[in-house]
Formats: sequence, C-alpha cells, structure tokens
Amino acid sequence: MSEEGKISIGLISCSGEACPGGTISRLATQKVLRSIRPGYNFVTICLPLFMAGGEEERHFARHYPTITIDGCEKCCALKATEVLSGPVSGKVVVTDLIAGEKLGEGTLATRELTAEQKAMVDQVAAAILEQVDKINREG
Amino acid sequence: MPENNSRKVYVIPCSGIGKMYGLLGREAVLKTVKELRPDKAATMCLALLVYGDNEARKEIAGARCITVDGCPKLCAAKNVEHAGGRVVEMVRAVDAFRNHRGVDAGTAAHLTAAGWQIAEELAADLAAKVDRWYDAGEE
Repeated sequence: MSEEGKISIGLISCSGEACPGGTISRLATQKVLRSIRPGYNFVTICLPLFMAGGEEERHFARHYPTITIDGCEKCCALKATEVLSGPVSGKVVVTDLIAGEKLGEGTLATRELTAEQKAMVDQVAAAILEQVDKINREG
Repeated sequence: MPENNSRKVYVIPCSGIGKMYGLLGREAVLKTVKELRPDKAATMCLALLVYGDNEARKEIAGARCITVDGCPKLCAAKNVEHAGGRVVEMVRAVDAFRNHRGVDAGTAAHLTAAGWQIAEELAADLAAKVDRWYDAGEE
C-alpha cells in the first residue's frame, strides 16, 4: 500500500528504440499511468536505470506488484526484472498480442503513428489493465 | 564510403519514460536516424544492450556512439560505454533548452508544438555531430 491507501503497482516498459513494439509499449504504459483507476497508484521505472543498478527501483520491484511491458519477444524488461528483483506479478508482450507483420519494422516516432497503431496502443493498455485486475483478484 | 552498418555512428537515447526530457531526446534521435542521416546513423535499444544481448554488444563494440540522456543519471552514456561502445559525444536533452527557457515543451507522454520545435533543433545538432564523426572515419 502507499499513500491514501492506494495499491502501488510498478510498470516497467521496454522503450525499444529500435522497434515499433517499443514505442507501442511506451505509449501504452503512459496511457495507463495517466488513466484514472481508483485504488491504484501506478509508478513507472526507467528500465536501463533499473538494470544498471538503481537500488531504489529494484527495491520497489521486489516489494510491490510489478508488471513488465515488452515490445518484442526478447522480453528485456521481463527477464531483467525477474533476475534482479524476482517474479513479476504480470507481463504484457506486444508481439504476443499483435502480429509482427502488422507492427512493421524499424523505428517508430510518436508523430508517425497511424490510426491502426493508435488502436494497438489502446489494445496494449487494455492488456496492462487486465493484469492490474488480475493482481487485484489474486491479492 | 561503403554502405556498412558497422561504419555508422550510433545515436542512442536513454529510455527515460517518466519525464518529458526522455521523450524529447528519444524523438530527436529517431528523427536523426530515420530522416536526417539514415545512411550515416543508426540506433539501438538501450535495454537490449544493458541486458547483455550478445548480438547487440557485438554490434556496438568499438563503434562510435552519441548518447542522448534525459536526466542527470546519464544511463545512456554510462551503459553504452559499459557495453563496449565508444561514446564520442554525450548529449543532454536539457541542454537543448538553453534558448528556450521557461517554454512548455509538453509531458512525458506528448510534446507541444514548442517541444517538437526543440526536438527538431536537437535532431539537427545530432545530425551535425553524426556528420563530424562519420566523416572522421575510424580515428
């Protein structure tokens, strides 16, 4: 629990600078962070800082429920969190939800997002919130 | 000059997801590698590099890298160097605001028109740096 009796949940997103899934992950995570979800306090953690030794970040992920959001099948966020802080409470992998050919290749700037890609952001954000609900159900 | 990826200058942003500077730096990098200098510059997922992906580390080993960080923790600069990249320029997104003091550039989730303008200026600066290091050959 954190301030005001809310449940704190950590969101660790890959930012996949080199792949479209990274941009989708990042935007979906931002969407969840900004969403009004009574009872929850979402906290984001910069993945490279966490991986490079951010003790505060690792401590948080060790003691609070954390959801990782990965843009590709390499799952850097999931693997790093499990190695450094233990099992995650939920995970979302963009390429599990959206076929690679639909995502496209190369980098993706936020300005370039098509209507289809914006819908993908919504889809991934919904998947993150499903994980939040699962955490709530399972305590 | 041969079209060889190993000759390219890597421009790697931090993956800062919690602050506007992380987004602005990332967008400037994407503009540089996609639009301004696609033949001379490339980027890479910082998390992949930090996690120790062999392929990514091999690609970056000894390569000239320009890092762009959004906060004083300088995750990109430190981690790229630790992964074996040669950091030839260390850029801080906040320095792009020297001539834009007090401007509302946006949030961690989206940039305002002024924010995009600053990102474009930063991208132009990064492109000039890429030219300098690309043309410097393997010095």
